Amino acid sequence: MADELYLENIDEFVTDQNRVVTYKWLSYTLGVHVNQAKQMLYDYVERKRKENSGAQLHVTYLVAGDLLQNGHVCHKVAVVREDKLEAMKSKLSTVASVHVYSIQKALLKDSSPLYNTDYDIVKSNLQHCSKFSAIRCAAAVPRTPPDAPRAPAPAQSPQRQRDPDAAGTVNGHGPPAARPPPQQHKGIMGMFAAKAAAKPQDTSKETKAEAKEAPGVSAASSKPPIKNSIMNNFFGKAAMNKLKANSVPEQPKEEKEVVKPSVAVAEAESSPNTVAEKPGKKTESARIQQKDKNSKAKRADRSDDEEERDPENVKKKRRRIKQLESDSSDEEDVPPSPTPEEERAPSPPPVPALKTELEPAPTEGSAGGRKRKRKRVLKSKMFIDEEEGCMGKTG
Amino acid sequence: MFSEQAAPTAQGLLAPPSAEPPTFPRVPVSGYSDCSQPFRLGQRSFSRQYAHIYAVRLAGMRPGLEQRARGRWGSGTALRRLSELQAGEKCCVVGTLFKSMQLQPSILQEISEEHNLVPQPPLPKYIQPSDELFLEDELQRIKLEGAIDVQRLVTGTILAVYGSEQDDGRFLVEDHCFADLPPPLPWNGPSSSRFVLLASGLGLGSVSGEALLSTQLLVDVVTGQLGAEGEQSCAAHITRVILAGNLLSQNTQSRDTINKAKYLTKKTQAASVEAVKMLDEILRQLCTSVPVDVMPGEFDPTNYTLPQQPLHRCMLPLASAYATLHLVTNPYQATLDGVRFLGTSGQNISDIFKYSSMDDYLEILEWTLLAGHISPTAPDTLGCYPFYKSDPFILTECPHVYFCGNAPHFQSKLLQGKEGQRVLLVTVPDFSATQTACLVNLHDLTCQPITFSGFGADSED
Repeated sequence: MADELYLENIDEFVTDQNRVVTYKWLSYTLGVHVNQAKQMLYDYVERKRKENSGAQLHVTYLVAGDLLQNGHVCHKVAVVREDKLEAMKSKLSTVASVHVYSIQKALLKDSSPLYNTDYDIVKSNLQHCSKFSAIRCAAAVPRTPPDAPRAPAPAQSPQRQRDPDAAGTVNGHGPPAARPPPQQHKGIMGMFAAKAAAKPQDTSKETKAEAKEAPGVSAASSKPPIKNSIMNNFFGKAAMNKLKANSVPEQPKEEKEVVKPSVAVAEAESSPNTVAEKPGKKTESARIQQKDKNSKAKRADRSDDEEERDPENVKKKRRRIKQLESDSSDEEDVPPSPTPEEERAPSPPPVPALKTELEPAPTEGSAGGRKRKRKRVLKSKMFIDEEEGCMGKTG
Repeated sequence: MFSEQAAPTAQGLLAPPSAEPPTFPRVPVSGYSDCSQPFRLGQRSFSRQYAHIYAVRLAGMRPGLEQRARGRWGSGTALRRLSELQAGEKCCVVGTLFKSMQLQPSILQEISEEHNLVPQPPLPKYIQPSDELFLEDELQRIKLEGAIDVQRLVTGTILAVYGSEQDDGRFLVEDHCFADLPPPLPWNGPSSSRFVLLASGLGLGSVSGEALLSTQLLVDVVTGQLGAEGEQSCAAHITRVILAGNLLSQNTQSRDTINKAKYLTKKTQAASVEAVKMLDEILRQLCTSVPVDVMPGEFDPTNYTLPQQPLHRCMLPLASAYATLHLVTNPYQATLDGVRFLGTSGQNISDIFKYSSMDDYLEILEWTLLAGHISPTAPDTLGCYPFYKSDPFILTECPHVYFCGNAPHFQSKLLQGKEGQRVLLVTVPDFSATQTACLVNLHDLTCQPITFSGFGADSED
């Protein structure tokens, strides 16, 4: 029977997994209304005790009611152990509610495990924390874009809700950098808002694709969705092979080359684009186009960097560069992504439109320095390899 | 309040699962308007002296006080400025009080090298029998003696004194009066029970975790997860939650990082970062279910001087995604369902507590209402913005609910005024210490405390 399922579930949670099963935890886990969860817990306790009076089961209850305290009537809400339940009920002049709060195998010394269980389950369900509650608030709607310009239209992508969480954890620069460009540029950049891409890599890919197929803007819009799914897979793959093998990222790259040279480079470039979010989206798009030009030529050079340009490796790549920079104090702290830029041929027409902020001069001016830096990166790697070889010899 | 309605179905959830359990819609706020515009500062400039604020305060309150004086001591009372005083003539003077206190912490004394003083430790009260009162107006000051309670009054109060100047240059006071309750606001309260939850001093980020379960229980009661059906349906009548300051604990104010060497503190994170994340999660849970007004307090990451500006939205990314989160100033004034709320996070009351003989927070709260000014001790002993056009802390209309946060315990009183004013005075207790919040019923202006508790190792009875 369907009702028996929950009994088995609770039994498993309490006895087999030795969990503290609070009504809230049960409600989220089984996806039921909180009141139903409370009733389920009560039912389980009753049945278990009936069939086996010596069952090792400790129950805590929630009691709420009026209490005369310090001369005025105070509404008290308390979590009590089973043995103190009657005592608390008798203290209250009126009992407003009693229900099971939690069930666990062991006797609890204090209520901190209850708090921890609830905290964990709420934290992992923050997106819909009032889904199983008994009160619905019609006014609690997410803000619309005009109110909160940092959030693109929430209807467009369910990922949006995760953004605040994802952004904070993955890349703090992501959302803020993603938002200003859509507002500043209509037209091509309007594709940003239309896409409402949660991840900066996606947006950069789109701009890249758009710039590539400048005449066919609408065509570009239809293509990014397909690209995105492919790219997401590649990202998933590439994300797992962080610094392990150079060959692995080359494979996705080759595959990408088959699909679309622009796309492939876009993906490869998107990681430096995430790095370069600070300079701005426009610079990234410019870089994409420029990289696009010399992608094949510089493949070999960049193969080492490609793998490092995975979004997760952004920080690692940064660190490496920074270590080098700390060696050479006169190097500026410039993210690695602009380096491919100067190596490009003159940019295609859409690029100047997008590159309003970043002028060619400074980038070219520092081109030599960046080139030097990049070479240094390669050198260092070789150095490490040699070291390892040496260590292998000596060790 | 809750219990009578909820009692019948109290044990309803001690049963096997029933059919689809009911969901109660949250009672919407029918009329909300934020009236705290005077407390919002746009461009701030601290290049002005603080004398201007006293000048505008006196100018703003003088007409009202003169009218009160005439009403109390006769319409023929002579109203004089200090410069026009004649010895022996009974007259009435309106001016600002200044209390000269020996123990008052003075920065000039602290940094003066002549005195070689170690800065004195903070005391609970700085009053002494040797304190003296002076009355100041725009041009002069005069020492006050007589029927006036020196210990009770604080600097910055505007009042009218009736008496005469003595030969030795002091003013002998026979009687004095304050601005009294401001004119009443019309009453448009709701016709049925609506509740507003007032809580303050959540104290997140503190070392002890005892109040955490109580905070979670508070959120659960308000969002309708806790309690039997009767209690949940009552909780659906909570139309708003106001958090009156000190959302973060004092422990998050780690100042020693300023003095420590950089290499020791480079990798450490300020304690308030973690605390604000916790606050964000709690507010997120609340905001999905009820409109919340968040006022900053003494230990919160916003400016120090009154009026404190709202917390910035970027600190609360999860919660501010919802339109139900309102980040407001301290002091805060708003009209909810036709009921005017005015309140602070408690810094004004606790400051008066330090410099006055009054011990009861409710008594001080009532006194500020009768004195016609939210925070008379600002800017003397409480940080304040140098206003020069007008003093926004002067009470011009009588609120219906006047509260202060972070009080040591819960107290409430319904004050009736002569002109028909009805004010509910509430001292909201510090939640991290007392685990108590307040439920204000807008329909009949009553207030009930609501306490939360878990069970500890030493199980109390």
